[in-house]
Amino acid sequence: MSLSQALSTAVSGLRVSQAGLALIAANVANAETPGYVRKSLDQTTIAAGGLGSVRVSAINRELDQYIQRQLRTETSGGAYADLRARFYERLQQLYGDPGSATTLETTYNNFTGALQALATSPESSTARREVLSAAQVLAQHLNGMTTAIQGVRTDAEFGLADAVANANEAMQQIARINQQIGSVRPGESTMAALLDQRDVYIQRLAELMDVRTVENEYHQLSVFTTSGVQLVGVDASRLTFDPQGTMSPNAFWSSDPALRSVGTIKLISPTGGDMDLIANKAIRSGEIAALLEMRDQVLVQAQAQMDAIAAAMSRALSDRNIDGTAVTAGAQAGFDIDVGGLSSGNTINISYTDTLTNTLRHITLVRVNDSNALPLSDSDTASPDDRVVGIDFSGGIASVVAQINAALGPSGLQVSNPAGTTLRFLDDGAGNKVNLNALSATETATVLTGGGVELPLFMDAQAVYTGSFSSLGSQQVGFAGRIAVNSALLADPSRLVIYGAGIPTGDATRPNFLYDRLTTGMLDFSPESGIGTLDAPFSGSLPSFLRQIVSQQGEAAAAAENLAEGQAVVVQALQQRFNDSANVNVDQEMANLLNLQNAYAANARVMSVVKEMLDALLRL
Amino acid sequence: MSINGISSRSSLMLQSMVEMRRQLDDLQRQLGTGRRSVTYAGLGINRGLAISVNNQLAALKSYNASMQQVSVRLDLAQTALGQIDSVTHEVKTAIFQSKFAIDPGGQTAEQRNAGNQLELVLGLLNTTAGDRYLFSGLGFDTPSVESSVHILEGDGARAGLKQMISERRQADLGAAGMGRLSIPAAVGATLSVAEDAAGSPFGMKLAAVNSTLTGATVTGPAGAPASVSIDLGATNPAAGDSIRLSFTLPDGSTTDLTLTATASASPGANEFSLGANAAATAGNLQAALTTAVAGIAGSELAAASALAAGDAFFSADLNNPPQRVNGPPFATATSLVAGTAANSVIWYTGEAGADPARSTANARIDASISVSYGLRANEEALQSAVKNIAVFAAVSYSSGDPQAAASYGALKQRVAANLANVPGQQKISDIAAEIASAQTAMAAASERHQQTDATLADLMESITTVSPEEVGAKILALQTNLQASLQTTALLLQTSLINYL
Repeated sequence: MSLSQALSTAVSGLRVSQAGLALIAANVANAETPGYVRKSLDQTTIAAGGLGSVRVSAINRELDQYIQRQLRTETSGGAYADLRARFYERLQQLYGDPGSATTLETTYNNFTGALQALATSPESSTARREVLSAAQVLAQHLNGMTTAIQGVRTDAEFGLADAVANANEAMQQIARINQQIGSVRPGESTMAALLDQRDVYIQRLAELMDVRTVENEYHQLSVFTTSGVQLVGVDASRLTFDPQGTMSPNAFWSSDPALRSVGTIKLISPTGGDMDLIANKAIRSGEIAALLEMRDQVLVQAQAQMDAIAAAMSRALSDRNIDGTAVTAGAQAGFDIDVGGLSSGNTINISYTDTLTNTLRHITLVRVNDSNALPLSDSDTASPDDRVVGIDFSGGIASVVAQINAALGPSGLQVSNPAGTTLRFLDDGAGNKVNLNALSATETATVLTGGGVELPLFMDAQAVYTGSFSSLGSQQVGFAGRIAVNSALLADPSRLVIYGAGIPTGDATRPNFLYDRLTTGMLDFSPESGIGTLDAPFSGSLPSFLRQIVSQQGEAAAAAENLAEGQAVVVQALQQRFNDSANVNVDQEMANLLNLQNAYAANARVMSVVKEMLDALLRL
Repeated sequence: MSINGISSRSSLMLQSMVEMRRQLDDLQRQLGTGRRSVTYAGLGINRGLAISVNNQLAALKSYNASMQQVSVRLDLAQTALGQIDSVTHEVKTAIFQSKFAIDPGGQTAEQRNAGNQLELVLGLLNTTAGDRYLFSGLGFDTPSVESSVHILEGDGARAGLKQMISERRQADLGAAGMGRLSIPAAVGATLSVAEDAAGSPFGMKLAAVNSTLTGATVTGPAGAPASVSIDLGATNPAAGDSIRLSFTLPDGSTTDLTLTATASASPGANEFSLGANAAATAGNLQAALTTAVAGIAGSELAAASALAAGDAFFSADLNNPPQRVNGPPFATATSLVAGTAANSVIWYTGEAGADPARSTANARIDASISVSYGLRANEEALQSAVKNIAVFAAVSYSSGDPQAAASYGALKQRVAANLANVPGQQKISDIAAEIASAQTAMAAASERHQQTDATLADLMESITTVSPEEVGAKILALQTNLQASLQTTALLLQTSLINYL
């Protein structure tokens, strides 16, 4: 024990105070730095020569790891909900300001109103032109909605590209910091700084997708998606995304690369293996999940709704129903029907009773002109309980009969071709296992006059819209983007009234027909639009379908907004709690500063006393 | 809750202030525009209802627009119908009081007046509402009727009413002016009256013969062409005995001719002298018959013929051109032939379908109610009015014709009877009543729509708009909160240890 011992202990005290001061300076200086976690200092006594001097044992980060983990999870959810709400809000704006002149319902109502005026004054050329211009506005509105919806989809696609680039950056930084941490001694101040940085990158990654982290005893961290795909281990994996320049209604994601026409996210592991994250549904939350949901579901459905309106509107005006004429052949009874007027997409509807089980069954035969479109699915028509069979008409009537017989085979019904393009459907006669109840065909009017009151008012660009199927898929997909008023009708508006030779100019039959179909005609709508289900499709008038759509979209947007707000509250509350422990509190730092100042002064005092004592000793 | 110092990292308070600010902006927008939201999402649970209500309001609007148009048309139609009715009445009254005093043009003052009234009626039938001819059936864009000049005088190669009356007159009277009857000289005590051709629609048709002539036998009308035989037998008829012949005229009316035997050697009108024996009496009867028939032909037949020509002319439309006398020569014609649009004026130029006139124009005034208000100028009542006035105005007389006054009287009496209301036939007031019932239905619907419209508009308002009081109160509350937050924040920012070291 000696004075020199006291001196060196006081010096160590000064050193620790200085270190503490440096730490306070760092805390205060970084009070505004994002991701900075308040540091505290551990000091220990060194028992050298009996009495202890002091030294800094470690620099600690003041944070609650449990809250940090929870915050990360909720951040993903918050980012997901927030982005989704913002996209929904944009989508809402496409539907217009309620009650203003820019909504779809207003343009639709204007169109039916113009038809009603035409029915009152069929001879008025002004009324005719007004119908056509209202129809054009409506068609253009649907075109515009399609462009806008696809524009939002394109934004989602590019958003995905950005998000993937950001995720790659974060993952690489995490891997880099992991490596650096390996070469730093625990407790060193650099270690704390590196951990701060790494937390920032993990937080950034958590905003993009849902992640889960596992830390080893060397403070190195592995990052997984919550679904268990490893993103960062020793090295970072890499995400790739192949964005498509512009979106079209026909562009869909598919697990089959040949059919896929939008970008997909692939994970390329450090060892070179790759994996499609969308196909594996690996990303369940965060901005990327929100963008995927928008691009592949919400906006696709919004487009499908517009397509359904366009298709229903077009076909309501142009489709006519033809009933079969009853025939008998010996004991067999059935119906004749002329299929010469059927266009691709038109149907023959068979209704029969299976007398063994006494059940009513429906078969819908759909004309296709391209064998590549076959086979069709039962969900290709809106009616719920029918079996849908595509019949390729390109091979002539004999081939049609053969195909239908093959399709009807098990039912006991038979088809023949008595003459021309007439088909004769007969039951099994004396066998009495099956009774044919009704037979009808749906035919699309393709001409302006001479084809009855039905009118192809709307066209698919230059072609008549018949809802056909081809190898490229259904004609309905994206029809809202192509719908246009028949140019032949624009050239001769009188055809809105005159539907055949000798029809006087004042005949309101056709305007009344058009008006009725658009306002009260009952139609089935395919469940792809998100309204109704396959088993119970939505059946109603066009205005009620329109109401359902806008209502459903508004509901979804409001729900998204509510979810986002709720999630924001959760994230904020967690952030608050995290900040309580991790944030720099300047007041606290100042108080510590006073303490350190005192300690420093005290140590210095010890040194000066030791000096005085040594001086006294030397003066002896 | 713990109170934390302010720094940008403790940004939660800032965030909440930003959020309050945003709410304040939105409330301000609501206050300014009075609208709850600019998207359907913001309308809340009633957004679907808002669309339905909008839809209904739009439908009501279009129904009302229809009704407005239709009611103008109906008002105009009622005015026209009322005037036509009163014109018809005037003409009829004037005819009753008319005396036969012709001007140099061969017509009476009443006939001239009828010509003017015809122009008026035709003008009324061509009434338009906007560009729409009201009396054209479905042919709203074509005039309903020809002009009165074309109708009366014809148009170039197309024959008018006057020409057709003249042709028909020639055909009905025949070259001899005997109404196409032949009365050959008596053979012994037997004489006969015969039509000149079987199946001919022209001239007087023998309907019946009755005799009180003592000892005489009358037979017929029989045979083709029809003839009547009068055999006086062996005994001379007694004075005062009579024979009555009934004729059907071309307009469907009948006229009787009664000849009475007289002992006087100079018989008066419709009398014949008894001769020394039956054969001589037969000779006298033949001469008296010839004179009397010629008299009927020149008066009653001529009037009936004009009306028959009028029937043919005015029952025509674009699908059914008028039936004309198959000639020339007309005096010997024995059949009618369908005219063409090229050689005959067709007075009604509107649409002439098989549907009832009313059904040619329908207006939907409610989801399930529609009114029918179509009109055709050739509806029975209108056609009859135009026909009779036109025929009366078309016939002219020559001052040298001894039968002229009698013929005018026959025409006058027939036209006046036709213009009066005939039971079982449509009247102009019937048409007006049907139009009026459409007007009543529309008035009721319009009232209903007004009420519905008001209710729906209220509902719509309650969904899409906000009350300024409510927004004002919200703004006030928010403002208080925001001020308190800002003050507290400022206070916290000042309260830092740094300031006291």
